[in-house]
Amino acid sequence: MLQIIKIEWLKVKTYRTFWILLGLAVVIIPASNLLVQDITSRIPKQVQTLLGTSAYDFPLVWQSVANVNSYTSAIFALLLLTLVTNEFTFKTHRQNVIDGWDRKEFVYSKLFWVLALSVTAFVVSVLTALFFGFFYGTSAFNMEGFYYLGYYFLQVLLSLCLALLTGILVKRAGLAIVLYLGYVMIFEQLLVVTLKRFWGSVGGLLPLQTADELLPFPLIGKMLPGVQQYDNMVYLIALLGYIAVALWLIFRRLLKADI
Amino acid sequence: MPILSLQNISKKYGPVQALSQVSFDVPPGSVFGILGPNGSGKTTLLSIVTDVLSADEGSFTLFDQHPSAKQRRNIGTLLETPNFYHYLSAYRNLQVVAGIKQKSEKDIPRVLELAGLTARQHSAFKTYSLGMKQRLAIASALLGDPDVLILDEPSNGLDPVGISEVRILVKQLAQAGKTIIMASHLLDEVEKVCTHVAILRKGKLLLSGPVNAVITRDDFLEVGSADNKALKAVIEKHPAFVQLSATPEGLLQVIFKEAVDPAGLNNWCSQQGIWLSHLQVRRKSLETAFLELTNN
Repeated sequence: MLQIIKIEWLKVKTYRTFWILLGLAVVIIPASNLLVQDITSRIPKQVQTLLGTSAYDFPLVWQSVANVNSYTSAIFALLLLTLVTNEFTFKTHRQNVIDGWDRKEFVYSKLFWVLALSVTAFVVSVLTALFFGFFYGTSAFNMEGFYYLGYYFLQVLLSLCLALLTGILVKRAGLAIVLYLGYVMIFEQLLVVTLKRFWGSVGGLLPLQTADELLPFPLIGKMLPGVQQYDNMVYLIALLGYIAVALWLIFRRLLKADI
Repeated sequence: MPILSLQNISKKYGPVQALSQVSFDVPPGSVFGILGPNGSGKTTLLSIVTDVLSADEGSFTLFDQHPSAKQRRNIGTLLETPNFYHYLSAYRNLQVVAGIKQKSEKDIPRVLELAGLTARQHSAFKTYSLGMKQRLAIASALLGDPDVLILDEPSNGLDPVGISEVRILVKQLAQAGKTIIMASHLLDEVEKVCTHVAILRKGKLLLSGPVNAVITRDDFLEVGSADNKALKAVIEKHPAFVQLSATPEGLLQVIFKEAVDPAGLNNWCSQQGIWLSHLQVRRKSLETAFLELTNN
């Protein structure tokens, strides 16, 4: 595995697009939280008293940061889509195998990025939450609710597994990006709304929606009228199930099909 | 022990039968040419051997073992087109290849020099001309000094000097005892370097084995005189005569059933009152033999 990581590092070390997209994905985490913090700080004093706590106070900060970041994880997916479709565009996926990688090793090389980017997103989020909690919060440090960042990690993991699957199936960069973003930003949302309207909570079980259900924004959640929901465990199992199915399809495709 | 042994390999693309029951062995130390017109299945065959495609039927062994990634690491392969990361330099691309092949990066300067790319080694691949890309692919195949090379149309995109350099390189590698499996439709190239051939047509193996055993290329004599009509009539009476044809240059190509001494033929013609103005022993070109074989 170390050998694979070393080779992947050689592929991106001097690749400017990679570093620009990675920089953007990382910077947008604190930046978007700064924006949300600024908006929530303008909530009138009376309302804040009513809510009892601020979104960036410990322990709510974990949930707030996790929720805000879940909207920008598509940037990590774009980065992964670029790396994967590059291999197909340059036909280097073939050459890697011809030169002596097992097809499984090629899959591992891409799964390395899925994991590495998910961990990067998670670590940057933890640091962001700590910074906001200490700098903008008024409560003492508290780890309660830290598991929301765990849900966020799983959301990024699922987003990246779906991006990898899209890249492998579609192969062409432009089309893969359009299809992926179209699904994530519009098509799934439409399906969720439609399903929820006619069949109720089952709409919350679509792939990326499972993570959204696990990551509500803390204060607004309190203000909304009670929405019928499954237990968190149901969404969690569904989310893990989708990751497993995506991985199975990725392996099946790359191990069996002609490349 | 054959380097590569194919047993009844078949492959279909939808309704197209790309390969049908192909079997042959590549002996060690041979320069093995895989010949065939465009679309005959040469690249498909090599893609199966390199695990890019999987065969529908049949099996093959590499170094007498079940094929695996480990064996591919010890084979230098150039398949179809040069495939490299466009944004990386030649040197960095070869670092990636060395990493996958688990060979030392110390060999990179040697292969870049062999391919004539030392001066441009730090330029991005996307800035290379077609010929330079092909040279880099050859350099990549030579990385780690493998004992076996698979070269699919190695002269593609090269200028005449490049083609000649590749031919010399292949000869040098063969002299050094390497086994070279080379697909080509450039028969001149094959004729000059190959010891063995396999000939494919529409996915079927027509023949395989040592070049001279597979493609019988009888010697023939090319003759001419002031009166070719009279010469033709005389030649047809020769006891060893088999076949005669006229060339566009106004000469006659004559095939005899046994080797005929040119001096004897000259003497025989003069006794019949014909004086030869042209007499030359020639050999059927591989191209002619190949066209005869693949058109049948």
